[in-house]
Amino acid sequence: MLQQCISAEWIKLRRSYLWIVMMSLPLVSVCIGCANFAMNQGVLKNEWYSLWSQVSLFYGEFFFPILIAICSAYLCRLEHANRNWNMIMTAPVSVGSLFIAKVAVISVLLLLVQGFFFILYVAGGMLIGLQADLPPELPGWLFRGWIAAVAIGVLQLALSVRIRSFAAPVGIGLCMTFLGLGMYVMNLGLIFPHSLLTAGMGVLSQEGLGLGSSFLFYVMNLLYIVVISAGVMYRMRSTDVVS
Amino acid sequence: MNQIVSTRNLSKRYGNVFSVNEVNLSVCEGDIYGFLGPNGAGKTTTLKMLLGLVRPTGGKVKIFGKELEANRRYILQNIGSLIESPSNYEHLTGLENMRVVQRLRDVPDKNVTEALKMVRLEKQKDKKVAQYSLGMKQRLGIAMAMLSFPKLLILDEPTNGLDPAGIGEMRELIKSLPQRYGMTILLSSHLLSEIEQMATSVGIIHNGTMLFQGSMEKLQARSRPAIRIKTQDHAMARELLASRGFFPKVQEDSLLLENITDSQVAQVNRDLVAADIDVLRIEEQTRSLESIFLDLTGKGNSL
Repeated sequence: MLQQCISAEWIKLRRSYLWIVMMSLPLVSVCIGCANFAMNQGVLKNEWYSLWSQVSLFYGEFFFPILIAICSAYLCRLEHANRNWNMIMTAPVSVGSLFIAKVAVISVLLLLVQGFFFILYVAGGMLIGLQADLPPELPGWLFRGWIAAVAIGVLQLALSVRIRSFAAPVGIGLCMTFLGLGMYVMNLGLIFPHSLLTAGMGVLSQEGLGLGSSFLFYVMNLLYIVVISAGVMYRMRSTDVVS
Repeated sequence: MNQIVSTRNLSKRYGNVFSVNEVNLSVCEGDIYGFLGPNGAGKTTTLKMLLGLVRPTGGKVKIFGKELEANRRYILQNIGSLIESPSNYEHLTGLENMRVVQRLRDVPDKNVTEALKMVRLEKQKDKKVAQYSLGMKQRLGIAMAMLSFPKLLILDEPTNGLDPAGIGEMRELIKSLPQRYGMTILLSSHLLSEIEQMATSVGIIHNGTMLFQGSMEKLQARSRPAIRIKTQDHAMARELLASRGFFPKVQEDSLLLENITDSQVAQVNRDLVAADIDVLRIEEQTRSLESIFLDLTGKGNSL
């Protein structure tokens, strides 16, 4: 049943221009990051690590959360348009699997974005002429970034399912990004999804989370994903479909 | 007969206003049930409650003899529906839209081909829906509703947006479905003429309340004929008829006699002629369903 829903979601993504957003935003972040790195080589001496600090700053603190918000809003706009909620909510599948299918699709999309970002980062570094080996922490940053991105994705999906407007949830997402940055700075980074992205991707501190924090990181993300999803599914089941 | 849909005191209240008030809908197997009412009467809300899209504030829905709440998936498996305007993904082609429903309903490819053929969209199936005309979108919506060839098909204003030829075609298609596929059809409309030409049973709803429910014949039986008599001299004719115990209604330039037998008509005619009042016309006037409908729903509300 879930498989049916996911495969229906994939068909809906055909012919969409979402891939332009998915490719251009990481590209812009890496370009700005690389340019910043190249112009400030006097201070940024730590090769790949310094490049990461620049590139991931623009990506993790700004462009990636926006990208997640846009993807989520797009997946929901498909249903808000043309009264499509009427159609999918009368399909003989559970309401839960309809939402989980969207979460699954956005997770895969975000994984692709992370992969693309990885390629751009390596390519950018090589173009600049970095000689050293890639940092061993890199897979961890990317993976934890993806986990936190999924949590943000679920939060954004929840907003977009509720709010018919495309721009409003993206705007809220942008505000939450700044809020997340504030909370990270105040050392409350592990209790807010957007700060979890900052922490997980090693944006502001590359020291790694340590065992305890790392455990808390995964628990918090999982909690956000599960609790928000459950809330959305409950709401979808118990309220009228407005179309 | 087997009841496919039955509701008991089904109600939906928004604030203090009942959008649907204690409706007892009953649709039997093989019926084409016409659900008739002016705009905003509560038709769509009722249909949405049958599909679980809207939660009733009171009453129960039973479909295929099972409670909707507890058997949602089984029931939806056997219903195809088109509610309000047609649903579709505009950036996809007609065929891709069908594929989305095909995945969700897990039906074989041949259903897709057949449903598209039935609504005559097979030539346009590779065109983006954004380029479809309103009528084509409507036909696609019906094809999507029919995709699983369900036991019950719920169509909300199915001929909306179709041109006259398209309406005729759709009417023939809908009428053929019960025999061809054993479907039961529940369709709503605000146009009596449409329901009259398709439906075998009728429900008339107004301001959320069911005013009439029964077979089409039962509704037509309400159109009792009256006799209209036109004479040279109205006033004298009325006086004469009154002395015979008839009190006709004056309608424009003629007199209208209700509940009158043939022999009484003959007698009245004879009396009028004998009294030297020339009878110009005697004719039977059947009330159209339109006027019955207007009587039921009140004339103040236009259709």
